[in-house]
Amino acid sequence: MIKNYKVRRITSNIIIYILLGGLGLIWISPLVYLVLHSFRYEGLAYVTYLFPKQLSFKNYIDLFTVTADSSLNFPRWFLNTFIVAVFSCIISTLAVMMVSYAFSRLRFKARKPLINIGMILGMFPGFMTMIAIYYLLKAMGLLELPLVALVICYSAGAGLGYQISKGFFDTIPRALDEAATIDGATRNQIFWKIILPMSKPIIVYTVLTSFIGPWTDFILAKIIVGKDIPNYTVAIGLQMLIDSDHVLNNFKKFLAGSVVVAVPITTLFLFLQRYYVEGVTAGGVKG
Amino acid sequence: MKKIIALLLAVMMLAGVLAACGGGSNNTTDTSKPAEGGDTKADVEDPFYGEDNISLLVWAADNAVNTTKTLCDNFIAKYPNKKITIDVQTQGEGDAAAQVLNDADKAADVFSFACDQINRLAKGKALAPVIPDFKDDVTSRNTEFAVSTATLNGELLAYPETGENGYYLVYDKAVVSDEQAKTLEGIFEACKAANKKFVIDAGNGFYSCMFIYTGGLKLDGLTEDGTQVFNAYDKEKVLDSLEAFANLFHQYSDIFMSADPARIGSGMAEDPSTVGAGIDGSWNAATVASVLGDNYGAAKLPTINIKGTDTQIISMNGSKLIGVNARSKFPEAAQLLANYLTDEEAETARLEELSWLPSNIKAAESDIVKKNPALSALSDQAQFSEPQINIADTFWSPVGTLGNKLFNTDKFDRATIESEFDKAISNVLDE
Repeated sequence: MIKNYKVRRITSNIIIYILLGGLGLIWISPLVYLVLHSFRYEGLAYVTYLFPKQLSFKNYIDLFTVTADSSLNFPRWFLNTFIVAVFSCIISTLAVMMVSYAFSRLRFKARKPLINIGMILGMFPGFMTMIAIYYLLKAMGLLELPLVALVICYSAGAGLGYQISKGFFDTIPRALDEAATIDGATRNQIFWKIILPMSKPIIVYTVLTSFIGPWTDFILAKIIVGKDIPNYTVAIGLQMLIDSDHVLNNFKKFLAGSVVVAVPITTLFLFLQRYYVEGVTAGGVKG
Repeated sequence: MKKIIALLLAVMMLAGVLAACGGGSNNTTDTSKPAEGGDTKADVEDPFYGEDNISLLVWAADNAVNTTKTLCDNFIAKYPNKKITIDVQTQGEGDAAAQVLNDADKAADVFSFACDQINRLAKGKALAPVIPDFKDDVTSRNTEFAVSTATLNGELLAYPETGENGYYLVYDKAVVSDEQAKTLEGIFEACKAANKKFVIDAGNGFYSCMFIYTGGLKLDGLTEDGTQVFNAYDKEKVLDSLEAFANLFHQYSDIFMSADPARIGSGMAEDPSTVGAGIDGSWNAATVASVLGDNYGAAKLPTINIKGTDTQIISMNGSKLIGVNARSKFPEAAQLLANYLTDEEAETARLEELSWLPSNIKAAESDIVKKNPALSALSDQAQFSEPQINIADTFWSPVGTLGNKLFNTDKFDRATIESEFDKAISNVLDE
């Protein structure tokens, strides 16, 4: 009987692992293809075989070498995106934290209505307002500075995403605030010295999401930056590499670019990863 | 008190925004006036009609920016007594209409675009028509085909910049001989002998329209509500053509490949090469030529045997045009510059530096065209092609599907083809 059970367990495990392995393979194969072929030396855009015959860094070198007669300037695009992402990350993280703190700790008349308005506004899909945003930015003359405009767009409404971190702040005992108040701390001091140091997971979560957003956004960036090629972000720039005019010569560069784009996000993620899972789940706990 | 101030500030900001928008719409009426004033030829001495302190923005394609800059410098030098500044920026021809229509105020005064966008631009009233001063000259100096791609409802809306923006037959001379390249059957046979692919992007309406064009179906403008109009075609002949293509695709099903044209150059660059021939876009010509070297073969599209007669394949072909923004602040100068950028000298410069086929008749007779196989092929094909204008948005997808059906299905008898054809036509007409 025991033996029978053992056999059953092993067979079921084998089946499960084969199934999971198969699914895993399907999931990872595009990434493997992307990385492998970004090192492919031979051929033009496409090849009929799976594994490159000759590997080199040529595509990466080409990607970061800008010739004078070409407007494909990946290093510049990369820098643009990095600047936009860093600034909007800082601004939106601060905004989210402050809004959440106010909603979680302060009691004022308009609190409930404001929370509700925030919820309702958050339900409208972002691209509904994109054309309006374009004309507002134009009226303010900000289209001449598309990178500034992008930072504003990504971070101006960030405070509305307060829900998860408010949930987290709610779990921090109010007794701590009260103790600090007795010691003479102001609301502001409590926020910076008590609440924030205790909220690492949720800060990390907010930093990650607000950094990845601008880094990968395409639609809004395309509308705002439009035809201003030197001010492209990587998402629009990479798409330009594979339009029908450029694809034959630039497809390999596109693959290399896609790998390079993943580097900052992955680095950030690796550094902050141990907080990440904690942050995602912590906000959901009702205190 | 605070609340009132806040409210006031908010109202002021809103008013500012509205005022800015309002200002924009006023400009339209202002700028259209001088363009009309050009009709009177009041001041023939001054081709600028009094405009001075001119600053113009020009959009050119990525690879054409440097050439365009040089031409613009020459233009400035030509009029030393005027103060002109010209800024040239990169903008792909395929995306120009979208950018102009998106925000005409921020768009270039003079811009290069692919002719298939002319309907959209005309509908958005974004194009200032060619002024009467230049109209006759533009019509006579350019090929009839190029002029037809710039004309909508009898009105010349833009200056032709190139004589083509389409596709041609490219083949590897080691696989297909020049003689075999003249017929579709010969190409298939040669590719089969070498076991290499022959690539047509048959699922894309831009290419698959050849299957119906060759059968005599042509487009004949749009109705006012944008529905496609066809010529009085003979349905049996169109079906004959479709059947002939379908038969070949099935007969050589292991040779024929429907894929993105970038596949052709890629396949030829592989070692050993996997593609013997293909119908490729002119924009890839330089790269493919450098891949094949001495074995680079280019020709007009081949003939196909339909019911015993070799019939020339008819293609869709566009052109690149230079348009003048209807909201340009310097309409006369913009027209003058657009005219200058498309005259014989400018087209020769683009031919020499970029290998763009001129629309200018004299420039197209140059030796450079004759010596360049791709350019002669494109120039030959231009006689057998339909202009890519006046095409409904609903045209592309059904015609692409029809192309797909020709090689994708096991059943390709006449009845099936007829029902697929009927389906495609009714979808194009959006019934």
